[in-house]
Amino acid sequence: MASLANDNLKDNFIQGFLPKSRNGISSQLALPRKAAQLIKDLEIPGKKWEEWRYTRLNSLVSQVYVPGQTFEVTDISPFLIPNLEADVIVFLNGIYAPELSKVRYNAESLEISPISRLEDELLRTFETHSGSIIDTETNIFTALNALYIHNGVYIRAPKNVKGKAPVHLMHLSSGSKEVDTSVQHRNLFIAEPGSEFQVLESFHSIGNETTARNSLTEVLVKDNAKISYSKIQSENSASSQVDHTSAVLNRDSSFSIHTLTFGGKLLRNNLKIILDGENGSAELIGLYLLDGTQHVDNHTQVDHAKAHCYSNELYKGIMKDQSTGVFNGKIHVFQDAQKTNAFQSNRNILLSDTANIFTKPQLEIYADDVKCSHGATTGKLDQDAMFYLRARGLDEEKAKKLLIQAFAREVTDSIEIEEVKESLAEIIENRF
Amino acid sequence: MISIKDLHASIDDKPILKGVNLEIKGGEVHAIMGPNGSGKSTLSSVLAGREDYEVTEGSVTFHGKDLLDMEPDERAGEGLFLAFQYPVEIPGVSMVNFLRTSLNSVREYRGEKPLSAGEFLKLMNERKKIVELDSSLTRRSVNEGFSGGEKKRNEIFQMAMLEPTFSILDETDSGLDIDALRIVSQAVNSLRNPQRGFLIITHYQRLLDYIVPDFVHVMYEGRIIKSGSKDLALELEEKGYDWLKAEATV
Repeated sequence: MASLANDNLKDNFIQGFLPKSRNGISSQLALPRKAAQLIKDLEIPGKKWEEWRYTRLNSLVSQVYVPGQTFEVTDISPFLIPNLEADVIVFLNGIYAPELSKVRYNAESLEISPISRLEDELLRTFETHSGSIIDTETNIFTALNALYIHNGVYIRAPKNVKGKAPVHLMHLSSGSKEVDTSVQHRNLFIAEPGSEFQVLESFHSIGNETTARNSLTEVLVKDNAKISYSKIQSENSASSQVDHTSAVLNRDSSFSIHTLTFGGKLLRNNLKIILDGENGSAELIGLYLLDGTQHVDNHTQVDHAKAHCYSNELYKGIMKDQSTGVFNGKIHVFQDAQKTNAFQSNRNILLSDTANIFTKPQLEIYADDVKCSHGATTGKLDQDAMFYLRARGLDEEKAKKLLIQAFAREVTDSIEIEEVKESLAEIIENRF
Repeated sequence: MISIKDLHASIDDKPILKGVNLEIKGGEVHAIMGPNGSGKSTLSSVLAGREDYEVTEGSVTFHGKDLLDMEPDERAGEGLFLAFQYPVEIPGVSMVNFLRTSLNSVREYRGEKPLSAGEFLKLMNERKKIVELDSSLTRRSVNEGFSGGEKKRNEIFQMAMLEPTFSILDETDSGLDIDALRIVSQAVNSLRNPQRGFLIITHYQRLLDYIVPDFVHVMYEGRIIKSGSKDLALELEEKGYDWLKAEATV
């Protein structure tokens, strides 16, 4: 009976994520066809799945969803980064919004195109790489996402070209009162040898209705190229997101990713970095500031597949009220990956007795000449620092705020784009 | 200005202060000396409002108000300042941001308008000179990576910024070399005026050569067992505490 119930649950859930018809790009590509076949054999992760031990999907999968439609937005300025000169691409419930998007700075340098508008050579490049970095065959979320392959963006920097300005991917979601809304989209970023660009992706809700987002990003950083990518998750407290992001780094390349979570109800960020060429460098930075009953799970994996690579991972979180944070970070050093430098750290502050953090740093090392470290800490705000500040006239609220900002500063300081850094400082200041 | 009456305080149910009486008037400098563990630092913590201590008996009146009823930040607003024995390092909080928030919080409490960025910087640069504080220190995080002497000078610098009416210097002289001691003492002396009172907690007579007290008290086992003029400090330097301990236990 239990399995029957599970089957019903799954059918009900995926029903809300299936496109009504397959047209345009989707009908021309093999991946959605393949995914549609696979879905019937894939399961929703349950409580027996080790990687999902602390994140239960019941509340997410037991709802009835309808795929999100585009909607009316007149003003996107509240969601822009103040003073930032960037190309802005807007998606409404995952669907490209041409009237709100503008590529100005990178028009001559980068190939930037909504996936739905790819043609000819760009479409062929997309088809070659899409689905090659993230596995579609064993994961129900990535398989479902493949059915919506037409939603999202393709960005490629040709050889030795540097982006002129960051690209801001702005995702706005809006649900309805009657039924919950599903949103799916994907990104493909390719940096050809010697090229470089920056992407900022932000997620916001319009209104208070429930949306469930299933997103996916594949990144390929070729020899001596560089991509930096920051995500700001700021949706409303009714909305959820399951994300899969994976980057493959070739020789002498570097990739940095910031995952900054402020809003949302249930979020699961799956991040995997594969250092697949010598002398690659990866930076994985995260910040999660949670309150209410928010649940945020950051699952990361760094594969050191080749020698002489460097990875640095720092995730910091503050949990208030009854919120829950999960950090699961695995560093996997392959046998041939000698001279690896891999560092990982997860630091947490609990602001209440009812907040939770589950943290599991893992190292798997098969090479013998490596430098690796990992660690996790959880505590309260430093009481000596609190007293010091209060003895200098700051009331409890101000003192707390200052210490929270200080805790987050290590993360914000590592962000390259000055305007984003400033904007985050403001978000953090007003968060609790 | 501040009147401490029969003050008892304990930590984790262990009594530390067992009936402290002390009256400090505007313009006066009082020194408290005494052996380790006699309760000197507890007294400063209790006056500043540290939560770890529980006041079990007695009262403290500050400018006519019940000090013990106030939050630590309210005490600062009322004009009380504690120069910490061990100033806390706060990574990620810049000195400038901290000082400005501190000063404007205290000003707000006193009903004064906040200083603009320009006014604040001007004041800061002026007061920094009093303690000969290296300019680069105010660009760093609060106390982070400061030497022992720099931390203590930073405390006095903050005192000069906040202009309290009553300052407690908790072993400010410990860990100071002779030059830093002179700088700190000169700074304190320059802030002395008929409206301001000081309570100086120290182990050594040395500091009192520079900041000459009006009264010297000896604390032992949670009580003030002897009070006198500055000469008492000299006597203690010469004879130690044992003769007083003997007197106290009689």
